[in-house]
Amino acid sequence: MPRLREICHTIRSKQAGPFRLTFDIVFKDEATFRRVREGGSVSKEMIAKLYHQSIDDITHVVFYEPGRAVKVTMIRPKVAGDPGDGDIYGCQQHVPLLDAEVVLA
Amino acid sequence: MRELRAISPGKLGYGCDLPSLERALERDPHYIAIDAGTTDIGAYYLGTGEPFYAPSSIKRDLVPLMRAAHQRKIPLIIGNMVATARNDQLAFGMSVVREVAREESLEFRVAVIPAEIDRAELLRRNSAHALEPLGARAPLTTAEIEESAAVVGQMGVEPILRALDAGADMVVCGRACDDVLFAAVPVREGYDPGLALHMGKILECGAVAFEPGSLHASAIGYLRDDHFVLEAADPERRATVQSVASHTLYERSDPYLQAGPGGINDLSDSRFEQLDEQRVKISGSRWVPAERYLVKLEGARHIGFRSICMTGIRDPILIEQLDDVLATAEKKTRERFAGEGAFQLIFRQYGRNAVMGDLEPTPVAGHEIGLLTEVIGETQALAAAACMFVRGTLQHADYPRILATAGNLAYPISPFTVPCGPVYTFHIDHLVPVADPCELFPFEIERVGRIVAPV
Repeated sequence: MPRLREICHTIRSKQAGPFRLTFDIVFKDEATFRRVREGGSVSKEMIAKLYHQSIDDITHVVFYEPGRAVKVTMIRPKVAGDPGDGDIYGCQQHVPLLDAEVVLA
Repeated sequence: MRELRAISPGKLGYGCDLPSLERALERDPHYIAIDAGTTDIGAYYLGTGEPFYAPSSIKRDLVPLMRAAHQRKIPLIIGNMVATARNDQLAFGMSVVREVAREESLEFRVAVIPAEIDRAELLRRNSAHALEPLGARAPLTTAEIEESAAVVGQMGVEPILRALDAGADMVVCGRACDDVLFAAVPVREGYDPGLALHMGKILECGAVAFEPGSLHASAIGYLRDDHFVLEAADPERRATVQSVASHTLYERSDPYLQAGPGGINDLSDSRFEQLDEQRVKISGSRWVPAERYLVKLEGARHIGFRSICMTGIRDPILIEQLDDVLATAEKKTRERFAGEGAFQLIFRQYGRNAVMGDLEPTPVAGHEIGLLTEVIGETQALAAAACMFVRGTLQHADYPRILATAGNLAYPISPFTVPCGPVYTFHIDHLVPVADPCELFPFEIERVGRIVAPV
């Protein structure tokens, strides 16, 4: 199974307002996008496990065809800038995705 | 087919690229819009009212924009003035606007639209029926309103329309949803709000939506009745279907349904087409008005005062047992300050798991650790004293197998500890229903730069 870093054009994270963390996983080409979507491994379960979060806190895993991308959004484990939060802007929280393995249909 | 041309010169204060702006102006725009704020910078700016960018940087970007708008007689819309758009930040932004107008001999009828919500007003609105949460976990409480340092409401397109109707040629808004800054002029002219807002959403970051992206460079939107076209001002940047569709995702929770003041922009049927090498055409975005008009509120409250100490640790014998050494230092600090007030002590181990904390997949220390010690106390004096004490305790902490008995911490900076002032947290992210989209956003027209001739 390939790792996301091998098949993606962009893997990024950012806050979507202080209470949400959002991720854009953009595939290199449309064929890969389709194979990942059909493969079915990118899901709320996968994200919850990867980030040690409750599945209820993963608000969106949406395949976005025009951008050949998956949009993932979760409730931030810590509100942006609250004591102990280390990444107010949220742009360095994508790393567990880099080596996540996905099924290609 | 009629067309409305918008230009986005990036972010106010970030440093607009002037040649890029010049090239954008050559397209003969009908208006200029720019965003001057964000919540990405944390609660400090909403709590204190300080500007984010340096005053000189804000002025440096305002000069060419006000000159261009004046010379071409086109509206200039500025939103989120400045930082988190409290009333004092808006007033500061307006002082720079007046200064530029005076120095450059430019006259404007400026509509100023504040967006800070008075606490008493908010209590009144919350009393009958607690306001529902958006990102926050629970409905708004009286205590949360009373504790807030400031609360701002995010305006939609309507208050800007009203200001333009009143004859403003420049509109300076407090907190506004960033896409409405670009949508106001077209919606007033009868263009489709779904397309206008989608265009605004992509334009609000200047040329970030292009390849290569840049927040300094300008972007141009050409809005027509059934589509819009995006183009970079600079020949070396291309709008591509990929770059533009990606930006549609950017910093939003949902790629298809983007909620804003008064409704949802439904992008499920948006089509992205590559027109030529440089330009992308977008159509099919659809505005769906909501049954109830909801305005998003953002608020911050004060939670203490912070002092920090930044040091480096290189000794491998210490790094191996750093968690134990830090726990012991914390225990001694708690004993020393028992009864002197509440404080939080936070160690961040850069080189191990400081960036991701509990989310870190590989919390393995490197050959050196940057240790950021942070104390948040009830008072600045307590934070400073506890931070200095824990620093000293760590500096001379003993640990098993120690060889380096002179000290444990490498200091890059004197003073060793630094007071960071008040600490705030975002605690209000709620929705307030309104009967009139303008009711929270009254405006005033001010003439700036008017030179009164001596009698």
